Amino acid sequence: MTPEPQARRRVQLVMGVFSLVSLGLLIQLIRVQFGPYAPVFAALDRGGRGLTEEVRPARGLIFDRDGVLLAGNATRYYLEVELRQLDGNEEIVAGVVSALLGVPADDVVAQLTARDKFVGALRIRLTRPDEEGGRWPITVDPTAAGVISAFLADPEAPDLAGLALVPLSQRVYPAGSLAGHVLGFVNQEGRGYFGVEGFYDDWLTGRAVTVQRSIIPPEAGLNQEPPAGVNLVLTIDADIQQMVEGVLQRTIEWSEAAGGQIIVMDPSNGEILALAAWPTLDPNAYGPWLGDQSEEEPVINPAVGGQYEPGSTFKVLVMAAALDAGVVLPDDVFVDTGEIEVGGHTIRNWDGEAWGPQTMVGCLEHSLNVCLAFVASQRLGAETLYDYLARFGVGRLTGVDLAGEVPGQLRTPTHPEWTESDLGTNAFGQGVSVTPIQLLAAVSAIANGGDMVQPHVVRQVVSSEGAYWPSPTTLGRPISARTSQTLTDMLIESLEDEALLIDLAGYRFAGKTGTAQIPSDYGYDPNLTVASFIGWGPMPGPRFLVLVRIDRPRISPWGSVVAAPAFQEVAERLVVLMGIPPDSERIALVGGE
Amino acid sequence: MTGTTALLVVALIIAAGLYLAVNAKVANAGRALLTLEAQRDELERENSELMTYFAQITSPDRLLERAVSMGFRPASPGEIDYFAVPGLQPDPEFMAPQPPFSQEGHRSGLSPAFTETLGEWLARVIGGAR
Repeated sequence: MTPEPQARRRVQLVMGVFSLVSLGLLIQLIRVQFGPYAPVFAALDRGGRGLTEEVRPARGLIFDRDGVLLAGNATRYYLEVELRQLDGNEEIVAGVVSALLGVPADDVVAQLTARDKFVGALRIRLTRPDEEGGRWPITVDPTAAGVISAFLADPEAPDLAGLALVPLSQRVYPAGSLAGHVLGFVNQEGRGYFGVEGFYDDWLTGRAVTVQRSIIPPEAGLNQEPPAGVNLVLTIDADIQQMVEGVLQRTIEWSEAAGGQIIVMDPSNGEILALAAWPTLDPNAYGPWLGDQSEEEPVINPAVGGQYEPGSTFKVLVMAAALDAGVVLPDDVFVDTGEIEVGGHTIRNWDGEAWGPQTMVGCLEHSLNVCLAFVASQRLGAETLYDYLARFGVGRLTGVDLAGEVPGQLRTPTHPEWTESDLGTNAFGQGVSVTPIQLLAAVSAIANGGDMVQPHVVRQVVSSEGAYWPSPTTLGRPISARTSQTLTDMLIESLEDEALLIDLAGYRFAGKTGTAQIPSDYGYDPNLTVASFIGWGPMPGPRFLVLVRIDRPRISPWGSVVAAPAFQEVAERLVVLMGIPPDSERIALVGGE
Repeated sequence: MTGTTALLVVALIIAAGLYLAVNAKVANAGRALLTLEAQRDELERENSELMTYFAQITSPDRLLERAVSMGFRPASPGEIDYFAVPGLQPDPEFMAPQPPFSQEGHRSGLSPAFTETLGEWLARVIGGAR
């Protein structure tokens, strides 16, 4: 063998190898360009050499004041199918999806084979029918997703070629319906509604960014991270919230009421410790509630959106105004004849009886409409009364950080429909509408030495830049500290005189019952009432202010029968949960120091 | 002449080899980056799941249920004794965890020092020389 032919053969061999490699590359190029996966690559190319997608940061977490997670994020997965990758395995894919999720297999097959419906579509998201004839995307939990992933990775498993799992962050509320009305909810599009989720939606959501994700390794880079949503710590105490919800449920059940709320607030700083409402709302399953929501009777946010005529609980504001204006003193005597005429409208007591001579304490203790109408119309006068009510924030938003607050309704003499008789009826809480949170804010002035605090539910905001503690806000000082003390003493005395109403050994409370008829298009129905109680304590130095509102109780219409026992039960548990010693021990402990 | 040609070919082969080596390293780094990003996303999802699961099994309702099943009941005010503990500090207030710091405007991608191709480098050098 001469060197020349040998060299030629070597050259031919090398050229042959190069030709084979080139041929392989050419075939691969043709396959990519025109083969079954061509549309997939073409789609990638349309978005640049990767995927252009909107990246949303994880929604901020919500904790109670002690760190109990109330709203978090879980991962669910959409089921998507790359239609061009199906290789006649539609029945197998449908069978697995049906077996795992209980979706009718026929329905899945129909989606996979309805190519005409998806002309030009490369990828479809599997859906399932709902009860109302619509369709919702199928989502699977991590367990089911794990099974599907295992099948996809196992060549021996059923052929699921084309099926893909697309992660989706979903809002979850680990404690179920606990504090559901405070939290609100997040819909499938990730938008918050009602409560904290609605009010702080922009902060919790963070900001989505559009990123170009390269799937080609040499071009992969660190992608831009979207600014994360903030984490929130609420003023809510989950233990108190749970206790209050239990008390409310028992009260609703035994009184056969239609609904109700109990709110517990720290009167010194406006922190809402618990806010319970019935019917309960599970934010994990908010769908059914949306249909029930109406402007007149909001069921999702009744504490801030459910205005009502407060009845006799409103008398504390009128009495506060009269005391502060100096037009009455606690021991002033009013002779109750059982009726009084104000603006041509005759006002009678709740029992229609005449109670004879009564001090102002007696007027509050027996909740005499006639007495309070007298105080409002003949001692205070319209201008002074409405000036005080405005100072108490009646008819105005409190600014509580819960979505959906309404201002209530108060007609003043400047209102075209106001009549002088309103002066008499407003005095005992009729013809005026407030929200529970508004009444709490107003009464906080009496419980807090004259300072009216703004109710709020968020005590800490933690962003990626740092933490922020919103400071308590004072809404005003409608009455003096002296008036606040005087009225509190009067209400303590009136409760102690009715020992059966509130009786907790070692603790003293101030409070007032309310029984308000519910207005309708045909006037007031005496059988439909809102039974309520507002109270604070233990005195001195009240740690909590509690409003109990029970709507349409059937067992008894009276606040003293239905709402006061609920307050008693709440107070009994609160002193334990908040570690408040009885008066005697408190004094001894302070003395010991 | 033959020697010069051979030298040129060798130089080209060395340059091509270097170029391929650099590109292969970039590709490997990119692959590792994509894998790590996927792992990070998965770990974040798992972390979130575990956090939620923990919250579910320690929710007040569950704990109350378990306490009752173990024979406990809520204490009444009369059953509690209070005493002063000198110097006792209250528990520190709960602080929520800080969300991940936004990388917006800080790290929008790898430095060009790691991604610049030979062609881009040449274009930049020639462009700069003009």
